[in-house]
Amino acid sequence: MLFDRLQALALLQLGDSAYPAGGFAFSWGIEGLAADGMLANRNELDRVIADQLTRRWATMDRILLRKAFRARNCKAIAEVDRLTEAGTPSAEMRDGSRRAGRALLGVWVKLEGPLSIAYRDQVSADARLGHLPIAQAVVGRDAGFSLDAAELVSGWTLVTGLVSAAVRLGIIGHIEAQQSQAAARGLLGELLADTPGADALPASFTPFIDIAVSRGPLRHVRMFTT
Amino acid sequence: MNRLSLNGTIANSRIAAARVGIGGPVGSGKTALVERLIPALLKRGVDLAVITNDLVTAEDAERIRRSGLIDPARVSAVEAGACPHTVIREDPTLNIEAADELERRFPGVELILLESGGDNLASTFSRDLTDFWMFVIDVAGGDDIPRKRGPGVIRADLLVINKVDLAPHVGVDLARMHQEALGVRDNRPVLLTDCRRGEGIDTVVDLLEREVLFRT
Repeated sequence: MLFDRLQALALLQLGDSAYPAGGFAFSWGIEGLAADGMLANRNELDRVIADQLTRRWATMDRILLRKAFRARNCKAIAEVDRLTEAGTPSAEMRDGSRRAGRALLGVWVKLEGPLSIAYRDQVSADARLGHLPIAQAVVGRDAGFSLDAAELVSGWTLVTGLVSAAVRLGIIGHIEAQQSQAAARGLLGELLADTPGADALPASFTPFIDIAVSRGPLRHVRMFTT
Repeated sequence: MNRLSLNGTIANSRIAAARVGIGGPVGSGKTALVERLIPALLKRGVDLAVITNDLVTAEDAERIRRSGLIDPARVSAVEAGACPHTVIREDPTLNIEAADELERRFPGVELILLESGGDNLASTFSRDLTDFWMFVIDVAGGDDIPRKRGPGVIRADLLVINKVDLAPHVGVDLARMHQEALGVRDNRPVLLTDCRRGEGIDTVVDLLEREVLFRT
């Protein structure tokens, strides 16, 4: 057998775009970029996905997830969460990340994940906590995932969320969506093959995406949280 | 809902708010119903909060916030990501989080009204999200709506037929529409309202007090 069937099934379950953690309501800039005329077809979508993966996810979210995954206790996890808050300049991006993270954490509280329950108490007492990569680390630990598996699910749910938003906005069709996902799969695989150093600091540089998300509240027509 | 221990005393010091969903097609009068329910419920001393699921804009949330009917802080908006049914059924987590947050911010809130974005006759609420849900249709949408037996019409705890004042103007036999609605729902509640004039609202509130808040 080339892979652990149960682990693979767990990955399919948690990495499913239909996983009930509110992912469908976040476009992470796709809606804003499209509204500003900067995203109108599959090629442009693929570039945005590549930017999201290489300039944000791999250097920011992944690093934070790794730190939270290895944190000794809830207090140490909260420190990484605060670093996420401090390292995300866009208020709308911060708010979206917390809403998505808290939704994911909420599911695992109801599923009685012990770390999720313990960490949710901290999150409830501090409005700055609950960011998505941190919640992904916490539920990954409750799900019994390895760090590799938790990273893979985190990266893949970002890809499916972006592509799904693009389909619902009418930017691409369902076949193009599969082509975009296949391209992103290759890129994500390359990124995952490169292990960040233990002392890696979180950093991102996606100015157009950050601005598109930040302009969200100013738009009259708006279907997504980010 | 109140959580009672075996000896009948309240087990938790904090009682969770009842969550009532309001769904229905676009333009059937869901927001108008919420605007009528708010003052009627407040008048009866119900501690209230509202969540709207806006499909495209924050129009509904802003309309209720600016109405002066309720503290704007008690109105939360949840964007539906272009999927009004997903956010109340397959994946209601964002609405659950919004309701939990309202309960944290307003301890003692008894009832949270949760208005869905406009959808079709197949929309239903997850039982993980709501304790009770109503489906709002209107006479101008056609008197054949109950006969189409959509899951919203059939399965809702309460079916509301709104805009009854328009019936004579759109050629609808209201009595027959009401009877057909009762028929497809096995005589489960069907109430008639004219939200523009506030008619029928007290009957809806009576039912919520009785079936959801257990006050009577």
